[in-house]
Amino acid sequence: MLVPLNPAQWDFSKAAHLLNRAGFGGAPEQIETLRQAGFPGAVEQLLDGPDDLLLFPKPAWAAPQDMTQMRGAIMMMSPEEQKEKKKEIQKNNRGDLVDLVTWWLTRMRDTPNPLREKLTLFWHGHFATSAEKVKQPYLMWLQNETLRQNALGNFRQMVKAMARDPAMLVWLDTRESKKEHPNENFARELMELFTLGIGNYTEDDIQQSARAFTGYRIDPVDESFRYAAFQHDDGEKKFFGRTGRFNGDDIIDLIVKNPACPKFITRKIWEFFVNDDPNPGVLEAIAWNFQRNDYAIRPLMREIFQSAAFYSPDVIRAQIKSPVQWLVQTSKELEIKIPPGLLAMNALRQMGQVPFLPPNVKGWDGGKAWITTSTLLFRYNLSNFAVGNGPMAVEKFRLNNNKPAGPERPVDFDSHIDLAKIAPPEIRADSGKLIAALTQRLFQDSLSPRETETFVKFVEMKKPDTSDNTVRELLHLMMSTPQFQLT
Amino acid sequence: MDDHIIEPHTRTLHTRREFLRTSMLGAAAAWTLPVFLQKTFLTLDAMAADSPIQTVTGKDGTILVVLQLAGGNDGLNTIVPYADDAYYRARPVIGIPKASVIPINDYMGFHPKLTGLKALYDEGHLALLQGVGYPNPNRSHFRSTEIWQTATDADKVDSRGWLGRYFDSCCKGADPTVGVSIGNEMPQSFVATNPTGVSFSRPEQYRWVNPGQEGMGADSSETLYRELNQPDETNAAAMDVNDGGSVAAIGGAKRQGGSTLDFLERTALDAQLSSDKVREISKKYRSSVEYPKSPLADSLSLVARMIAGGLATRVYYVSLGGFDTHTNQVNTQDRLMAYLGDSISAFCKDLQAQGNFNRVTLMTFSEFGRRVSQNASNGTDHGAAAPMFVLGGAVKAGVFGQYPSLTSLNNGDLIYNVDFRSVYATVLERWLKAPSEMVLGRKFPLLPIV
Repeated sequence: MLVPLNPAQWDFSKAAHLLNRAGFGGAPEQIETLRQAGFPGAVEQLLDGPDDLLLFPKPAWAAPQDMTQMRGAIMMMSPEEQKEKKKEIQKNNRGDLVDLVTWWLTRMRDTPNPLREKLTLFWHGHFATSAEKVKQPYLMWLQNETLRQNALGNFRQMVKAMARDPAMLVWLDTRESKKEHPNENFARELMELFTLGIGNYTEDDIQQSARAFTGYRIDPVDESFRYAAFQHDDGEKKFFGRTGRFNGDDIIDLIVKNPACPKFITRKIWEFFVNDDPNPGVLEAIAWNFQRNDYAIRPLMREIFQSAAFYSPDVIRAQIKSPVQWLVQTSKELEIKIPPGLLAMNALRQMGQVPFLPPNVKGWDGGKAWITTSTLLFRYNLSNFAVGNGPMAVEKFRLNNNKPAGPERPVDFDSHIDLAKIAPPEIRADSGKLIAALTQRLFQDSLSPRETETFVKFVEMKKPDTSDNTVRELLHLMMSTPQFQLT
Repeated sequence: MDDHIIEPHTRTLHTRREFLRTSMLGAAAAWTLPVFLQKTFLTLDAMAADSPIQTVTGKDGTILVVLQLAGGNDGLNTIVPYADDAYYRARPVIGIPKASVIPINDYMGFHPKLTGLKALYDEGHLALLQGVGYPNPNRSHFRSTEIWQTATDADKVDSRGWLGRYFDSCCKGADPTVGVSIGNEMPQSFVATNPTGVSFSRPEQYRWVNPGQEGMGADSSETLYRELNQPDETNAAAMDVNDGGSVAAIGGAKRQGGSTLDFLERTALDAQLSSDKVREISKKYRSSVEYPKSPLADSLSLVARMIAGGLATRVYYVSLGGFDTHTNQVNTQDRLMAYLGDSISAFCKDLQAQGNFNRVTLMTFSEFGRRVSQNASNGTDHGAAAPMFVLGGAVKAGVFGQYPSLTSLNNGDLIYNVDFRSVYATVLERWLKAPSEMVLGRKFPLLPIV
C-alpha cells in the first residue's frame, strides 16, 4: 500500500486538488462540501457516487438502426434518390454527433458522480475510437455507456466488453475478420495499446490471437454484438507459450495474467490522474495491488487518492488541463453553461481535443502537446468569451478533415455569468478581498506575490470603476495566464 | 541533441539561455526588456555563437515552404500521360482529353488548369518528380499522412515529425517562429522533442483579444497581461547572480508547477513575441501582386508577406484540402488545379517582386496518389505513387524519376521509383544545409533538383 495522507493535513486546497483531478473541479461551495466530508471520507464519497442515469437519459436519436431493412429500402431507390438518402444520413449523423458531444460535456459538468465521468473520459482516450470511421453516433453513444458502466468496475471485464463493442468492431475491423482470413488489426492494438505495450508479445502472438477473435459480428437488425460461430476459427492456437482452442475471452484472460499488464495499465492511470514520471517504487506497489485485487479499478483509485504522494506539492496544480478539462472546469468555476454544441466542438477542436474524434487509435498525447502558441492564445481568448466579453471568432468545423475548414466567424454566446455572485458588490471596492475571492475560485490556492500584485494593480488602476465590465476584464486577465492552464 | 548527457542544472540554464536569446531575436520594438536581460544578452549571444550547430534564421538563410495537398491528389490527372492508350482505357470518362493537356514532352503534359505551373516550368523554376512514394504503401489517410509527416518506414512509428527532428537537431536557440504553420493546428511534421514553431491563420486574430480597446484602460491591461506572461523575473534575476546554479535551488522552495509552469511561461512569451512580430509585419507589408481568390492563395500571400517582413522563419507549412476525389472528380479537380497553379504562380511573382525568389523553395506533397482505373462514381480511390513539385528561384528545373508504368501495377496501383525520403534528404542537405542522415535516421540518395 502507498503511504496514505495524514488526515490532519486535509484542507480546502487538498479537497480542491482531489476534485480537480478525480473530477472536473467545482465552484468554491462544491469544494467546501467535499472538504467537509473529511479524509478519507471525501475519497469514499467520490468512489461511491450515485448512479446518474435518470439525470442523463439517452439522446432521443440514440437507437439502433435496422440495417437489413434500410439496405433493402435503399436498393429500391433510383440512383438520385440513393444519393439524396446518403446525404440525408450523413447530415443526420453530423447533427447527432454534435448533440452527443454536448450531451457528454453537460454530463461531465453536472453529474453527481464526477469520478466515474472522469474515468469514462480516460477510458475513451485509452480505447480511442473515432466517429470519423464508425460514423453512426448511436454506436459511439453505446460505446460511451459501456465504458461508463465498467469505468470503476473490473479491467478484465472492460477489455472483454470492448472486444465485443460494435463501435470497436467497426473501428478495428474485427467484424471483417473471418476464419480463412483473420484480421490482425484488433489483436495488435489490443496488446500494443490496450493491455501490454510494445515488447511484451511477438508477431506470432498477434497472428494466433487474431484467429481467436474471428466471428465477431454486429447484428444487422439491432446492431448488438453477434457471434457468428461458423466464421470462428475453432482450431488450436499457440499463445504466450500455451496451447488450446482459445476464443477471444480466453486470450484476454491470458493477456491480463501477463505481469506486464497490471504495470502497463496502472502506469497509464497514474500518468493521467497524478503525474508523468512516477516513482518506480510507487508503480510497483500499485501494479502489485491491482493484480492482487483481480484488476478491480475502484481499489486502485482508492489507493491513489488516499496516498500522500497524490497530494504532494509537486503534483498539485502541476498538470496542464486538457481542452475538455479546461472547458468543463471553467464552466464549473464560473458557474456558466457549456456553450451549445457546434460552438463547443469548434472550440475544442481548435484546442486540439474533440470527444469521440481522437486523432487515431493511440488517443491523445496530452500534457505539453496541448499547448502551442496558437492554442495558448486561443485559450486566453476563449476565456474572454466565457466571461461574456463579446463575440468570439471560432473556425468553422468540418467533420471530414480533408475539406478545408471554413473561415473564422464571430459567434456570440451569452454565458449568463452571474457576476453579482462571483464578485459581490460589497467586496469589489476592497482590492485585496476581491482578488482573494477570485483567486480562490479560479486557482483554489494562492498565487505568487508577483501575480497577486499584478491583479491588485489592475483593480487599483480601474478605480473607482467597479462595474461588471471591470470584473469581466479582471477575470479575463486572471484566466489569460500560464497558471490558469494548470490543474 | 542528446540531452541526457547534460547535467540537470546546466540544462535548465541552457534552456533559459535559449529563450532569452529567442526573445531578443523576435522582440517587438515596443517592448522594453528588464535590465538584467539586456545585460546578459550579449554574453548569451556570444555563447550561442560558440555552439557546434549554427542556427540560421529565415532572415538571412534559405526558406522552405511545404505545401500539403490533403486527401490524396490524383497524380495521373495532374501530369497526364496523354500519349498512353492505357490511360484512356482505364479512364473512359474522367481521362483528360489529349487536346486539353498542356504538353511537357511527347508523352505527358500538365492538367489544363495548371497554366501557372507550366509557365514556371518553362522559365526553368520547376522540378517535376515522377513516381514518388515509398515501399509497402499504405492506403489509409491518417496512416499514410503520418508516414509522410514522420518520414518513417511504413512499419515503424515515430511521434516526432521530420521537420520536428530537424528543429531539434539544427535549430537550438532559434526564434519561436523558426517554423510557421498557416492554420490553427501544428502539423505532425513539426512535432519535436522541444515544442517548436507557431501556428496562426489570421494575423489580426493571432493576439490576445482584449475588448474595451477604446480609452486608456485597454493599454494598461495589455501591459499587465504581458507582465503575467513571461518567466518569473525574480528567479531569472537570481540566476544572473548565481551563474551555473540550479534555478530551482535559488530563493528557497521550488515553484509549484515546476518545469511545466516554465514550459507554459516560455510558450506564453513566445506567443506574445511572435504575435507582435507577425502583426507588425502584416500591417507593414502588402503584396504587390494580385492573388486569385482561394484559400491556398490566402495562405501563400500571408507567407509571402512574412518573408518580405523578415520573419525569422525557415520552414513554412501550408495545407490545401479537398483532394480525396472518390466521386465525380473532373469538376473538383478543375477547381483544385486552378487553385494550385494560380496561387503558386502569384506567390512566385510576389517573391520575385520582393527579390526573395532565390531564397525560397516550395515543395508539394500528398499522402498518396490514386488508382489507375476510375471507379463506378466517376472518381478514383486511394492509390500509391504520384508526382511531386519542387519549385523556386534556385531549383534546377526538369523532369526527374520515371513515369510509372500504367500496366505493370501493384494491386491496381502505380509503383513508385523515387522514395519521398530522398526528396526530404535533398531539401535538408542542399537547401536547409542540415545533416539529412541525422534527421531521417539513415542515408537516402540525393536528387539533383536544388
